[in-house]
Amino acid sequence: MHEIGVRETVQFAGYTFNWETLTMTWLAMAIVLLIAYLATRKLSLVPSGWQIVVEMAVEWVDGQIDAMMGERGRFLAPLIFSLFLFLLVSNWLGLIPFLASPTNDWNTTLGLALLIIVMVHVLGVVKKGGHYIGHFFQPTPVFFIINLIEELAKPLTLSLRLFGNIIAGEILIIVLLKLVPIWMPIPAVLWLAFSVFIGGVQAIVFTMLSMAYLSNAVKKEEE
Amino acid sequence: MIELNATFFAQILNFVLLAILLRAVAYKPVVKMLKARQDKIQESLDKADADVAEADKLLTQYKEKLAQANAKAEEIVKNAERRSGEEREAQRAAVKTEIEQMRSSARAEIAREREQAVTQLRAEVVALSMAAAGKIIAKNMDEKENEKLVAEFVDRLDKDKIGDLPC
Repeated sequence: MHEIGVRETVQFAGYTFNWETLTMTWLAMAIVLLIAYLATRKLSLVPSGWQIVVEMAVEWVDGQIDAMMGERGRFLAPLIFSLFLFLLVSNWLGLIPFLASPTNDWNTTLGLALLIIVMVHVLGVVKKGGHYIGHFFQPTPVFFIINLIEELAKPLTLSLRLFGNIIAGEILIIVLLKLVPIWMPIPAVLWLAFSVFIGGVQAIVFTMLSMAYLSNAVKKEEE
Repeated sequence: MIELNATFFAQILNFVLLAILLRAVAYKPVVKMLKARQDKIQESLDKADADVAEADKLLTQYKEKLAQANAKAEEIVKNAERRSGEEREAQRAAVKTEIEQMRSSARAEIAREREQAVTQLRAEVVALSMAAAGKIIAKNMDEKENEKLVAEFVDRLDKDKIGDLPC
């Protein structure tokens, strides 16, 4: 962002796109894919370098999915894995000078959140059928209104939490650099370090919540 | 700042694309590799277990063999001892018979010598008798004197009598 709150837009085929968000998304995708390529270029039984990092991510995701959904949720692991890596790289991308996070645009976070929520409902209906629809009317049909609000709130909270955290971090970095003279960089550096932490935490939170929502739809009903 | 536009759909597309690519490039190979590693470790553990069992079996076999060898060695030593004892016994018996032989031959020798001595003595007695007879004849005195001489001689003979041999 060169000026807070103003986005460069491009017109393509009659639609408006946020150019910076798109390029930064492609950059983040390229970085994730590069890491994946570096890690899996020569896979060996005795891991080293990036392979260890990617293995840790895969095992963490698999472990979380097993804990939350059991073996039935394993087919979602690649999605969760991609989501986590993409969000982590995206969140940290904005901390590099002249770059921005794709996640500082509500278009990105709402897109991801809606994708997850739509998947939740589709999977719920496919896996459980009428029982899934029925549970919105539990314990009494009146609760349908509350459940509906809850389901509508899910993508909103999921997307706005990430978007707010990231854009607040970036805005505050710009503000700090403008307010504090350049010979006293300590507040900006401290905030940068905190933003690194926030970026990691928000990536984990988004991923974990997505998994929690998905597990509701996928896991076996406890009798 | 918060306005939604077509970027929304582009981002969904981007992410789905990324997920598909990552699944192909990273997730599947890594999971496959993890599985391979797990299999390898399991295999190694199994092999180690098998090796331990094999080693145990070998150890038992060797112990058994060692015990057998020990028993055999003991038997051999016992045999040797028995044989040497027998030999010693046989030698002792041989020596005993030899001693017995020597003793009996010595006895025979002694008997022969005595025989010889008796023969000699008899010859001597004859010679003495002859001498005594000569003396009697030479003297040729009265009968009284003769008798006395003979009695004297016979007395002397009785004094020198050896064993129960007749003179």
